[in-house]
Amino acid sequence: MLALAGRRLAGAVAICLGLTVVLFVLQHLSATDPVRVLVGPSASTAQVDAVRHQLGYDLPLYAQWWHYVTGAATGDLQTSLRTHRPVATDIAQFLPASIELALFSCLIAAVLALVLGIGTAGRWRGAAPLNTVLLAIASAPAFLLTLLGIMVFYRNLGWLPPTGRTSIADPPGGPTGLLTVDGLLTGRPDVTLDALRHLVMPAVCVALLPAIAVGRTLRSSLTTALESDHIRTAKAKGLSRRAILLHHGLRNSATTPLSMAGLQLGSVFASLVVVETVFAWPGLGLYISQSIPTSDFPAIAGTTLLLAVAYVAVNTAVDITQAVLDPRLAR
Amino acid sequence: MPPEDRRDPARSPSTGPDSAILSGPGSAILSGPDSPILSVQDLHVTFRRPRRPDAYALRGVDLTIGRGEIAGLVGESGSGKSVLASCVLGLLPEHPAPVVTGRVLVKGVDMLTSPETRRRAVRRLDLGSVFQDPMSSLDPTMRVGRQVVEAAGSAEEAVRLLTAAGIPDAESRMRVYPHELSGGLRQRVMIAMAVAGNPALIVADEPTTALDVTVQAQILRLLRRLRDDFGCSVLLITHDLGVASQVCDRLVVLYGGRLAETGPTTPMLSEPRHPYTASLLRSRISLTSDVARPLPTMPGEPPRPTRPLPGCAFAPRCDLRTDDCEKAPPEPRPVPGEPGRLSACLRLDELAERPAEPGSASWPPNAVSGRGPLLTLRNVHQRFRVRGQGRHVRLSALSGVDLTVEAGESVAIVGESGSGKSTLLRAVAGLTPVSSGAIELGGDARPQIVFQDAGASLTPWLSVATLLGERLSRLRLSKAETRRHIARTLTLVGLGDDVLHAKPGALSGGQRQRVAMARAIIDPPELLLCDEPTSALDASRAAGVLNQIGELRRELGMTVLFVTHDLGAARVVADRIAVMYLGRVVEIGPADAVVGSPAHPYTQALVSAIPEPGRAIAAPAGEAPDPLRPPSGCRFRTRCPAARAECASRAPAPVRLDAGHLVDCLLYEERTTAGSAAS
Repeated sequence: MLALAGRRLAGAVAICLGLTVVLFVLQHLSATDPVRVLVGPSASTAQVDAVRHQLGYDLPLYAQWWHYVTGAATGDLQTSLRTHRPVATDIAQFLPASIELALFSCLIAAVLALVLGIGTAGRWRGAAPLNTVLLAIASAPAFLLTLLGIMVFYRNLGWLPPTGRTSIADPPGGPTGLLTVDGLLTGRPDVTLDALRHLVMPAVCVALLPAIAVGRTLRSSLTTALESDHIRTAKAKGLSRRAILLHHGLRNSATTPLSMAGLQLGSVFASLVVVETVFAWPGLGLYISQSIPTSDFPAIAGTTLLLAVAYVAVNTAVDITQAVLDPRLAR
Repeated sequence: MPPEDRRDPARSPSTGPDSAILSGPGSAILSGPDSPILSVQDLHVTFRRPRRPDAYALRGVDLTIGRGEIAGLVGESGSGKSVLASCVLGLLPEHPAPVVTGRVLVKGVDMLTSPETRRRAVRRLDLGSVFQDPMSSLDPTMRVGRQVVEAAGSAEEAVRLLTAAGIPDAESRMRVYPHELSGGLRQRVMIAMAVAGNPALIVADEPTTALDVTVQAQILRLLRRLRDDFGCSVLLITHDLGVASQVCDRLVVLYGGRLAETGPTTPMLSEPRHPYTASLLRSRISLTSDVARPLPTMPGEPPRPTRPLPGCAFAPRCDLRTDDCEKAPPEPRPVPGEPGRLSACLRLDELAERPAEPGSASWPPNAVSGRGPLLTLRNVHQRFRVRGQGRHVRLSALSGVDLTVEAGESVAIVGESGSGKSTLLRAVAGLTPVSSGAIELGGDARPQIVFQDAGASLTPWLSVATLLGERLSRLRLSKAETRRHIARTLTLVGLGDDVLHAKPGALSGGQRQRVAMARAIIDPPELLLCDEPTSALDASRAAGVLNQIGELRRELGMTVLFVTHDLGAARVVADRIAVMYLGRVVEIGPADAVVGSPAHPYTQALVSAIPEPGRAIAAPAGEAPDPLRPPSGCRFRTRCPAARAECASRAPAPVRLDAGHLVDCLLYEERTTAGSAAS
């Protein structure tokens, strides 16, 4: 298990290094000049050259890259060209909102996936139509879901707020940065409730696609598992349906849906950008979506790097969990 | 006909418990020491499948098992025996939808109509079950101990049961996962779960079919002992009359979803009173089969479950049939003068006086010519890198194999799982390059392999004509010639033109095996390699395949290398037998000598573990050790009854006993040195 984690860690470092190379090449190939963006269209050529030299943009590409990588290793992600603040500081400010949204989305996705997977597994009468409905939902893009949600639950029903994280003027500023948790920790349940009301719609919008993807994988592997010989043994022992499902069925069908869940993290990140933009959610998605039009390269690179690390970390955790769940893989 | 009037085996005077109290339909209360544990009455099971014809799995079966009785349910694949087992457990598959009539009472509870909670309680308390493949029947992700505790209730009880099932050091084995156990130990775990809670009846569905013959002998003995210790009844389902003969008090033979014959084991096997039982016995490949002529086979095919059977199911294949046999299914009736025996044959009286059939013409003399060796293996080693305990380790699958096969000769490689016999075959076929040593193939041998699972070795979406035709591309024949060639080959393996356009899925198991054979010989190779081609087939079909191989080698002068775990099949098909154990050939010699007077203690153990009617089996101790850690010196010493200290320190070299009979055992080394010193 330790060896597996070690191998994965080495792999993660290689992946991140490769990613920075790709980012640098892409930036170099793109027509926009970040220095020109920074100083504005009215600045003189001399001014531009001075700033370019000051920021190191006149160095050869490999030297710029080396400078960036060595800086990133110590936590320095350079300065945003748009906000003029260190990217690391920006990320620290926007990260908690995204983490809160992502965690809630994953929680909702996990519950939904379990319910859908177990509900449609086996061959009961309603399984096939339910499956078709799910497929239809899964084919709707995230922006459509968000707009639909706002129209129905805000404009028509008025149940949920349309944008933002909270409507409370003085939310607590710590200690975790997650409003739902901080509200409880600081003894202000109204903050938690308000944050939850704001969370529901964006979180569901992010959660639906991965939930259906994972749920459908769970359905097929659970259906196969429930027809296997050892389930027959469990039935012959006289175990209850519940015990068979919980102790034998789910564990033996967990590996494929877990892999799918790890891979779906990518789609979660992608829909975070869309959903945060639509719901004006002050998170990393909003940050990166504002950085892209201004060619704010350090901001884009820093955020991308962070997401890549998260992606590799989660998928490594998936691999280790699989080895724990199925002892035959651990060998 | 009301159920009370059924001729029920339990009601004939001598089969254990008599006079089952069966009141009218609906009464499910049966108690008292004499009531049967299991009572199956007029059971019909039909599977309704969408857009496909109905499948009649059981067409009216009556069966009773008394307290402490071991009943053997015998039949070929498709006879309905496994469906009957599912009915007893109340676990019929829900898809395709079964239509069930009749009654299945376990200690008085109807396992077909009772509410699920009731049936579950019966499964938990009164029934135990053992299935064929212990690897897939145990949950691979749960520790063995927890799985046993699920049935046993407590850890102490689980340890007690595992010990009773013959698992050494049960306490520590509770912590392992199924894949860390050997096949025999896994099946013992299944048995420990089956006897948990002192069930009244254990349903064992082919419990030894997936096991090696020496382990099978141990498990069969264990089943008998558990019956004696726990007093439970056993319904043993098997396709092998030999296995049934070893443990069963009574046999129930099914054919085409109906009862053919039932009665006490010994008289039934010595004097069958149903033509089907008789031909089942005749076509059984045993250590005493006559090898001078083709094995007797059953003509025709067993009935397909989709066909309605208005008359006797066996009539189309029966040489005693009359017009009456085709009119109505014969009711099982008592065999006169033999209490407890029933036979569903109209002419059962004539069966007793039938003279023994004259055997078929003997084989023409063998074609082992002086053409010299076709295949020579010199000191062949095969090592694989495998992952074990988190790191790579070297597995020696073959450790120094020498073998010479003359052109036109047939040699069988016999061994249990892990002996390296299939590795050897793959190396000869050139599928895996050997690590060291030499394999020399003479001439233009172009070896062809026939695999064990013929169904899986044929591409499912290609027709038989395409599958056979593509092997002829080398010859660049015209279309008409190709067609002629295919037709001739199909005739050679005993198939008609009607299968030409069929896909493998539409063929029966026996037909698929013949197509696989036809594919191997259509462009006749000099060397035919067979990897257990008969082990997935019923006895009568296996005999057909062995006859086929015998015919082909005599007609086409083919050399055959035949890998099998079955000494009986090896003796029939081969001139010489090589016995392998853990990657080494331990004994090689003429087939009759190896089987008739085995020299190596391992070969002796193999021969005496084969279940044959009328002969008690002997089970050697233990199982083959982990091939990753073979014992020092002689590899069999850990299980050898004659092992001495010397065996651990020195690997035996081959000793010549007779012409061509070699054995690797220190016992004989001494004897020959002593003999040569004297002379």
